[in-house]
Amino acid sequence: MKLVFIFIAAAITNNLVLTYFLGICPFIGVSKKTSSAVGMGLATTFVMTLAAMATWAIYHFILVKFGVPFLEYAAFIIVIASLVQVVEMFLRKYSPALYRALGIYLPLITTNCAILGLTLFMVLRRYTFTESLVFGFGGGVGFTIALIIMSGIREELEFADIPEPLKGAGITLIVAGLLALAFMGFSGLISS
Amino acid sequence: MKKALWMISVLAAIGLICGLSLSSVYRYAAPLIAENKKRALEESIYKVLQDIARYEVIEKEGLVIYAGIEADGDIAGYAFMAKGAGYQGEISVIFGIGAELDKLKGIEVLESLETPGLGGKITDAGFKDQFKGLSTLPEIGYVKSHSPENDNEVQAISGATISTRSIVAILNDGISKMRDALKR
Amino acid sequence: MKTVSLYDEFLKGLWRQNPIFKQVLAMCPTLAVTNSAENGLAMGLAVVFVLVSSSAIVSIFRRFIPHEVRIAAYTVIIASFVTVADLFLAAKFPALSKALGPYVPLIVVNCIILGRAEAFASKNPVARSILDALGMGFGFTLSLLMLASIRELLGSGTLFGIRMLGAWFEPWVIMVLPAGAFITLGLLIGLINMLARIKGKEKVGCCK
Repeated sequence: MKLVFIFIAAAITNNLVLTYFLGICPFIGVSKKTSSAVGMGLATTFVMTLAAMATWAIYHFILVKFGVPFLEYAAFIIVIASLVQVVEMFLRKYSPALYRALGIYLPLITTNCAILGLTLFMVLRRYTFTESLVFGFGGGVGFTIALIIMSGIREELEFADIPEPLKGAGITLIVAGLLALAFMGFSGLISS
Repeated sequence: MKKALWMISVLAAIGLICGLSLSSVYRYAAPLIAENKKRALEESIYKVLQDIARYEVIEKEGLVIYAGIEADGDIAGYAFMAKGAGYQGEISVIFGIGAELDKLKGIEVLESLETPGLGGKITDAGFKDQFKGLSTLPEIGYVKSHSPENDNEVQAISGATISTRSIVAILNDGISKMRDALKR
Repeated sequence: MKTVSLYDEFLKGLWRQNPIFKQVLAMCPTLAVTNSAENGLAMGLAVVFVLVSSSAIVSIFRRFIPHEVRIAAYTVIIASFVTVADLFLAAKFPALSKALGPYVPLIVVNCIILGRAEAFASKNPVARSILDALGMGFGFTLSLLMLASIRELLGSGTLFGIRMLGAWFEPWVIMVLPAGAFITLGLLIGLINMLARIKGKEKVGCCK
């Protein structure tokens, strides 16, 4: 049951983007078209789930064991960066079509604060391995949902008459704010 | 080959230097951080057990209970730190209870990772004040759609039922553990 | 060849190439910690520390770090300084550390720092790199302060904890919520763009 809570929390009620401000850069940058949003979302979800598992293992079997918890940030970011490299190489060799489709999004995932943020939260909340896995997957799903909704709205906005100064980042942030407000309505989703 | 070796040694050297530097910074900071935590705990003991001159640590059955002593030597009440699962992680709450172990004197939330703006409200004075003088018999409860009618009920936070439920459960559990330990 | 004066090196980070309002970078900490002016200032100074230290180190050793592994090297250096900042805050300013929470370690992926190391510190001497870092860092801090002050003033009626608006003021709770952060920043960017156009400078695009 707790696993379901964790998943729904990460994906909807405590959406990583709209509640915790993680992953904003790709959220603003890649949400212009729905096709790219879907691609980035899926790639990120994949990396997030793997990263959650890998960093959990590194934290518990290496950092804690050797008494060096302060190396957490350096170790995690290296793991994430390496993971992205490995995924990139793997895709290039075994699925060139997918690799081409994702294109430049893959390397961008490394600097996505949502992934590092997710792994840090995982440690703070002392999740078990399974909980971390679900958390990583849920976080990715939530990120993808936010991205897709945003891209849908932005595609419509192309035809709207936006004041010049607000075009681009300005209007995107305002829309994100309204989305965040809307998502707060989900807070009653899970209750007794 | 020589290039690869150079790259690896540079990275290794950087890693080593960073690791060693961090290690020394950690050795400097760790005791200070522990000291801060201890001070925060002490401050919260005085907050939840008002008007005490000092406190004593009682260790019974693996639990650490703080007895608040008044200026004239009487025990004013007890404080205990309870932990449990919240909505988004573990919640650490310290509560102060009267010497008869019946009415709460107050609570302080030490650590919580709840949703900012919703579950995070458990650290608001408005929510915490509800627990001052709250009866704990038979146990604490919460109500949602109406005002509390009994003296052992608090109002749940709107939009944060699970956080409310968690903290109430954590408190009840802590109170019963404390009662069991002190009775013997 | 026109050489940029040292003074200019510092100034450009404050306005012309302001990391938040112009380059639209590092949104995550910007939105998260600007619910109060004090938090915004603390985060800004932490970023200045990491930015200056890592830019300095990267610049000093720029000829020794092989090109292929430079990003990995910069990342480790940056992560180390962030850990130092985090440990220092937890030791000396526990209340701030708690308020800023997980957003201090997130400085590691703050695009500004890696961006400056890659774009500037790796190619320029130490003095210039430090000035560039200081400028960007303070530009970032000033922007944080601007956003944070607005949010704190309208959201709680206080500034740095000091009551500014009297009891007649009903706080706009939305300002301290995520939604308010997004909207305020969006409007601020719009405002800055408008000012830039009136002054005749180039319009700002979105982030990369």
